[in-house]
Amino acid sequence: MNKANSRDDSFRSVLRRDELAVFPQGLKPLYFHGFSVRAKGEAFNLLRSGDLRMTKDDGDVWAGRHRDGMRGVRFFLAVTLIGFAVQAFAASPTVTVDYRVFPGLAQMDGNWAALLAASDGKVYAGLACHGCSGHIVYYDSKLDKMVDIGDLNTLTGEQGLGLGPQSKVHAKFGEGKDGRIYFATHGGWWFDYARFATPEGYPGSHYMAYDPRLGKVEDFGIGPRFEGMNTGAYDPKFNRIYGLTHPRAHFVYYDVATGSKVDKGRINNWDSICRTLGIDDEGNVYGSYGTGQIFKYSPRTDTIEELSEKLPIRQKGISLGRDYGKAETAWRVVVWDETTRKFYGVEESESALFSFDPAAKPENAVKRLGQVAIPELAARRDVPYATLSLTLGHDRKLYYAAVQKEFDYSASSSGGEASHLMTYDLRTGKTEDLGTMYLPDGRVVLGTNSADTGPDGTIYFVGAIVAKEDSDGRGTAGKVGDTPYRLALFIYHPDAHPKAENAHE
Amino acid sequence: MSKACLILLTLCLASSAFAQRGLGYDRVVVPQTRIDLRDLGYSPVDLIPDGESGITSLTVAPNGDVYGATSGTRSHLFVMNPQRGYVFPIGVIAGATSVTHAVAVSEAGNVFIGVAPTGHLLEYTPQELKNIEIGKALEASDLGVAVSGESISALTIDRKANVLYGLTAPGAHFFSYAISTKKFADLGSIAKAIVPGGRFEKFERDRIVSKVLVVDEHGNVFASGDDGYFFEFVAKTQTLEKLAIHVPAVPGREPYTCVDAFLLDPSGVIYGGTSDGYLFQLDPEKLTVKNLGKPLSEYRIAGLAHARDGKLYGTGGDGTEMARMFSYDPATAGYDVLGFVDVNRRPYYTWQAYVIGDIVSDDRGTVYIGEDERISKLYLYFP
Repeated sequence: MNKANSRDDSFRSVLRRDELAVFPQGLKPLYFHGFSVRAKGEAFNLLRSGDLRMTKDDGDVWAGRHRDGMRGVRFFLAVTLIGFAVQAFAASPTVTVDYRVFPGLAQMDGNWAALLAASDGKVYAGLACHGCSGHIVYYDSKLDKMVDIGDLNTLTGEQGLGLGPQSKVHAKFGEGKDGRIYFATHGGWWFDYARFATPEGYPGSHYMAYDPRLGKVEDFGIGPRFEGMNTGAYDPKFNRIYGLTHPRAHFVYYDVATGSKVDKGRINNWDSICRTLGIDDEGNVYGSYGTGQIFKYSPRTDTIEELSEKLPIRQKGISLGRDYGKAETAWRVVVWDETTRKFYGVEESESALFSFDPAAKPENAVKRLGQVAIPELAARRDVPYATLSLTLGHDRKLYYAAVQKEFDYSASSSGGEASHLMTYDLRTGKTEDLGTMYLPDGRVVLGTNSADTGPDGTIYFVGAIVAKEDSDGRGTAGKVGDTPYRLALFIYHPDAHPKAENAHE
Repeated sequence: MSKACLILLTLCLASSAFAQRGLGYDRVVVPQTRIDLRDLGYSPVDLIPDGESGITSLTVAPNGDVYGATSGTRSHLFVMNPQRGYVFPIGVIAGATSVTHAVAVSEAGNVFIGVAPTGHLLEYTPQELKNIEIGKALEASDLGVAVSGESISALTIDRKANVLYGLTAPGAHFFSYAISTKKFADLGSIAKAIVPGGRFEKFERDRIVSKVLVVDEHGNVFASGDDGYFFEFVAKTQTLEKLAIHVPAVPGREPYTCVDAFLLDPSGVIYGGTSDGYLFQLDPEKLTVKNLGKPLSEYRIAGLAHARDGKLYGTGGDGTEMARMFSYDPATAGYDVLGFVDVNRRPYYTWQAYVIGDIVSDDRGTVYIGEDERISKLYLYFP
């Protein structure tokens, strides 16, 4: 372990939330992008995402690269201000996550939902590219190796046909009983639907499967014509890929065994398509629509039923400024818990955490458990749009990556703010803010939009990190606000420190 | 890349990634001060259920009430009194899962419904409507089956003669029903031929036949049938004739083309739209057809309606597309493409009709647009 890493470890060792303090946002102009302070008075830690990075622990003061000749002055100011802050503010936590970038795919610009930590230790991700072909990749956690399975235009056989590109896997992957990884593709740019159903437009989503043993992708062909798969889930029990299409919001599925492609019709409005389909252990499929309503698809009857249960939503236009441009309120993400046989989910407007017991009576089926927005933002009008980054850990905690600002990669209205890692303990009902998410090298996690739990309990996210911007922009995917970014896989071990020496770019 | 292009791309990216409506979307939909919609019932409970709400028939009664019927797992009859302003579901139509352009109202105000798949013709006598009871059976008289073994696919009425005319499926029989004598007459099929390729290409297995009928000022009835040719039921001779004119089509596509929409103009000419999306003018006196071109790149013209501004309003786009609205001004022979049929107000926000089932207008000039999807609304367009 080199000296820098030793300092990293030393630094992390003091990042306990009960020892840390919040530093006021007003100090950011003094070049402190984000930092934490040890509240013991005599010692402090300072961390920022730019080119200045300092720690002081057990009397060992170390400063990273400074921007110019003023570094001594700034360092002095920083130390002084931190000293004031230590006395003035309560503790603020941080959490360090390991990360892996996607080599050769720096221009991939988004990831939504498409993350699966499979049973064999491989972690699959769909990387989006607006205006070009997306990629599917996997991270082999046993070999610490990232593998690019391929670009979607080529995998679907549409390369060079002059069609709208297969830009994304925009929905969850699923693992079949046969070990294959099932998914469906999605379009990227829609141009206000000017090219919808035209010869040069997007041809439609492909249902597909990747076989890890053969290293090959099987294409089951286009399902919904002209439409992408905005939302999806695979059910191993019935061996089906389910989805909600964009833009027409149809509930569709592909039955792998029979090869049949079925369209059950419209569920919602294009602007409000539920982003996660939940599947219970009996193979029933659930989604939300309208203003917090829930629908159920029963594979045994092949019918859609609109349930009377409603999500705990905050009314539009009363407390949430962001909703003026948004249609209806739905759940953003749900996860199924085999132990309690309930769904746990986050609704999109105020990030309300809820449980949904499909077997319970309607009046008792949905319960509001709290709120997983960053606590300082929870009561505000501008609670950021909930992310898709929810997963259930082996420790019976729900892990959710919350954002400080509205986050949607290049479409973010502003950027540069670190995500927080929130937990909700299903055993105790306690919500905890583990703190702002940092990489071992001090950069912040700008935002995430997918999460899953590996077979060993490791928590994975995919999202954006600060990237160095080349003169031609090739090293970045775009900008989150003013911050150049690229995608990365984040790795969090609930009971262990990350292996910082493996972090590389 | 220009700054304007960058802004446009950013807006496109924003709308695609968030799937959230941006300001740029306002320019691709009809002006929001010109459109509104109605739920099919009284929100939030007393509504025609999703899956049963696709509006596939609309018609205006002599008293101005707008009647409609839906298709789905069940069919419902509904009415909207424009003065009252909301849709009143009347009842579930017996045996019906589909009622396509098959609701007609007599001069006396009785409502006739052509049912699929049973092929029964029903008669509903309007009653005072008090409470919405979703699921209640429609109280209607069963007038019998028009053509044995056939469903009814279209219906129209000659109010002067008090005679109903209809088409059946799959045999494409043209039939009449005399309301006064309560007698059906089967006048034969207008689409006997198997569509070329039909034996070998499964997607062309259906017969291509007019989706609608129209009655001219003299009681003659028009439809399209075999090879896209027009058929006329001549009232004076009570005969069905195949005419020497056909619907406008790319040469060679005539057998795959039919009439989607008809509209009798006050001038006496008939406007129509084809399944390929052409608008045409049929002169029922001279028996000539004038191709007025295609207002949109999409297939189909789901309906046509008059407005008080003298223009015709319609929509194009088939079942896999996104419907767009257009207008045609006979005075200038010019089109305006008005955009997507979309209502962007609370609580609907950007509720958009992708598939249109039927269009009518009333004498106040309101254009009624029936959405035909699993979840459907009745749109009101104010030219």
